[in-house]
Amino acid sequence: MDIPSEAAHLRPLDVAADLLALLHDTDTEPRADTQLEALTLAVSADLPVLLWGEPGIGKTAALNQLAEALELPLTTVIASVHEPSDFSGLPVVGDDPATQGVPMAPPEWAVRLARAGHGLLFLDELSTAPPAVQAALLRVVLERQVGALRLPPGVRIVAAANPRSSAADGWELSPPLANRFVHLQWAHDHDVVVRGLGGTWPKAALPRLDRGRLPDAVTFARRAVCGLLIARPGLVHQLPKNEARRGGPWPSPRSWEMALRLIAFATAADVSRDVLSMLVRGAVGDGPGLELLAGLDRMDLPDPETLLADPEVAVLPERGDLRQTVLDGVVAAVRRRPERVRWNAAWSLLLRALETGAPDLVVVPAATLASLRRDDWPVPAAIERLSGAVSLSRQADQAAADAGEDR
Amino acid sequence: MTAGSMDEEKLFAARLHAVRNRPYLATALFALHTVESRRVPTMAVDRHWRCYVSPAFVDRTPLAELAGVWVHEVSHLLRDHHGRSDRFAAEHELTGPGERLRMNIAADCEINDDVFGDGLVRPEGAVQPASLRLREGQLMEDYLRQFRLGPYTAGYAWLDCGSGADGLDRDWDLGADGAHGLSEQERDAVRFRVAQGINGSPGDVPKGWQRWAQEAFHPPQPWRELLGAAVRSAMSGAGEDYTYGRPSRRSAGLPGVVMPSLRRRPPRVCVIVDTSGSVSDAELGSALLEIAAIVRAVGGRRDLVSVLSCDAAAHVTHELCRAEGIPLVGGGGTDLRTGFAQVQRGNPRADVIVALTDGQTPWPEARPPGRTVVGLFSRQRPVDENNPHYEPEVPPAWARVVTVG
Repeated sequence: MDIPSEAAHLRPLDVAADLLALLHDTDTEPRADTQLEALTLAVSADLPVLLWGEPGIGKTAALNQLAEALELPLTTVIASVHEPSDFSGLPVVGDDPATQGVPMAPPEWAVRLARAGHGLLFLDELSTAPPAVQAALLRVVLERQVGALRLPPGVRIVAAANPRSSAADGWELSPPLANRFVHLQWAHDHDVVVRGLGGTWPKAALPRLDRGRLPDAVTFARRAVCGLLIARPGLVHQLPKNEARRGGPWPSPRSWEMALRLIAFATAADVSRDVLSMLVRGAVGDGPGLELLAGLDRMDLPDPETLLADPEVAVLPERGDLRQTVLDGVVAAVRRRPERVRWNAAWSLLLRALETGAPDLVVVPAATLASLRRDDWPVPAAIERLSGAVSLSRQADQAAADAGEDR
Repeated sequence: MTAGSMDEEKLFAARLHAVRNRPYLATALFALHTVESRRVPTMAVDRHWRCYVSPAFVDRTPLAELAGVWVHEVSHLLRDHHGRSDRFAAEHELTGPGERLRMNIAADCEINDDVFGDGLVRPEGAVQPASLRLREGQLMEDYLRQFRLGPYTAGYAWLDCGSGADGLDRDWDLGADGAHGLSEQERDAVRFRVAQGINGSPGDVPKGWQRWAQEAFHPPQPWRELLGAAVRSAMSGAGEDYTYGRPSRRSAGLPGVVMPSLRRRPPRVCVIVDTSGSVSDAELGSALLEIAAIVRAVGGRRDLVSVLSCDAAAHVTHELCRAEGIPLVGGGGTDLRTGFAQVQRGNPRADVIVALTDGQTPWPEARPPGRTVVGLFSRQRPVDENNPHYEPEVPPAWARVVTVG
């Protein structure tokens, strides 16, 4: 056999390898990635996640990043090229099936995962697998059972499916199955793709749970979900009427529990509301999810009683619509328990609102508050300073009167 | 609010006037954060719900008109015109400020045909569909397909509702990092609250806003996709799947292991078409084309697909089926029950029955064997004045119903 000399003969593929290495040599830059943060949290919360996205959109790349962040080895199983027995186990006929039964032998990847004790299992192309394979797979996803083998709790599972419109031989998720997943819509960001192809891929700083916040997070999540469901009992269980929507997220006690868990995780990791919005809507659906988020916004607002107790240090929300809600709440609180001190405190709050924001917000609460006056309450001197709002209101009245004449 | 020479009192009195006339938009109007800007020609919004206002514009515009402009600008944001513009531009690969101006005009047309009146004055120079020779009551996307920049639009070249209307960033925009912007979730929350308010008491809300509120978070699904989904899902399980009936090819290598094998059993599909006069040729034609495409996509063989037309004159069905190579079977009355009965008499039986109809037919009493998909042509039914409580027959609960068209 010839030993290659020092001046090695370059094979054609050696140069190709150099070129490939150059192409692989890319940079990363930090960039907030809402969908990746949402995925990380849902996986940390040990909920089955279903990523809906067109083929080739970067779901696998995201899973690689997730595995790295969670420090888990990634096992990818392409569902559509497997047979059902690869997931439900192969029946192996032994010596005496009548007494010993027929064991369902798990595939090699499952044994490897079970032995490692932890890992990230990615079930890709769920929607293009034949129905029997899907049925077998759902057992893996929901019960972590692969044949006779049970995957250890350290294993996290993510599935991916193509949206109905792009899967020619796709399937519809049955409502009970859809209800067990957190649905995340996976879309590509044009800028990220273009910059990535230019050599710089994003590197998201993924959320980490803060040990110190855990008890508060649980309390907060329970208060949020229970608060909403007490006020809106109809939301507890609501199967969508539209056929197409049943294959997506919808509210049920099970998915509300998922939402509760997700809120606790999002709070403990202190992620943005955008991430939480994606998760909650992915668990219980858009409508109920948005109502829950609106409830969270209200929980963030200052309590009218606190404001009335100490109006001098009150901090009103900057956003006009929230400020309006708070002022309405203050006036409503005075109406519930009309006392002179509270009435005066409410005027001080309105003044503060006038000094720190748009004047039109104050008009309606001021009129309502004025109507709550009792005869023996003297008009506070501060009301003078509200004259700006009064003249503004008068201008609007005039415009309305003009419009009335025109008609 | 930045300090300046702007007549804030007038600006906010106008907002108050707008809120009094459109109480269901109060949340959205109050959520706007105003920014005084001398670079804006009139009033403009950005996608983060900031409203840039020109002091000169406030001075020269009557208060009542200013209120109309407030409502107009907030409508751009509520209806997500910037997002829709971006999607339209990406889909049709449109670039350049000219195209964005066209989007601004189309968005204005969508808003202006139904927000004014009823106490709210139309601002001077507002674009109307009629001034572009277009029909009222359409969506921005529809308008965009119908006009080019030209003599009719020349008068609107100054028009600028900002990046919140057409998605093109302006140099006065404070951007995502600037103060007082709303995050995506906050924007959704405001839109949701407005929609909820409208859905809660739709009484005196114009039709256009009611439609928006119903669809704000659940845009109607295109019927083609729905029909496809229904037929596909009716077929899954009836098509190819694994079975232990025959040994697998892999069995040879694994003695002692029982393997399933893939065996193909394509479903038999029968399409019953109601071709009575009330169904238009165009509706039928497109629905049938979809069915043919779906059946092709699921690998159905031509000999497994049959079409049964329930009417005398069914030239569309015939031609289409000939073009698609689908054999036509028999005919019948306009009563779909005869159609169903005939399908069930067929040998071998159909696994999936697809019925395309306008729904004005009696339905079979019993559930037919196999899965049934009903494609229902939706239409405004004329109200019978003699019998206002007349309810047309609804498709039975055992069928998957997809509203078509």
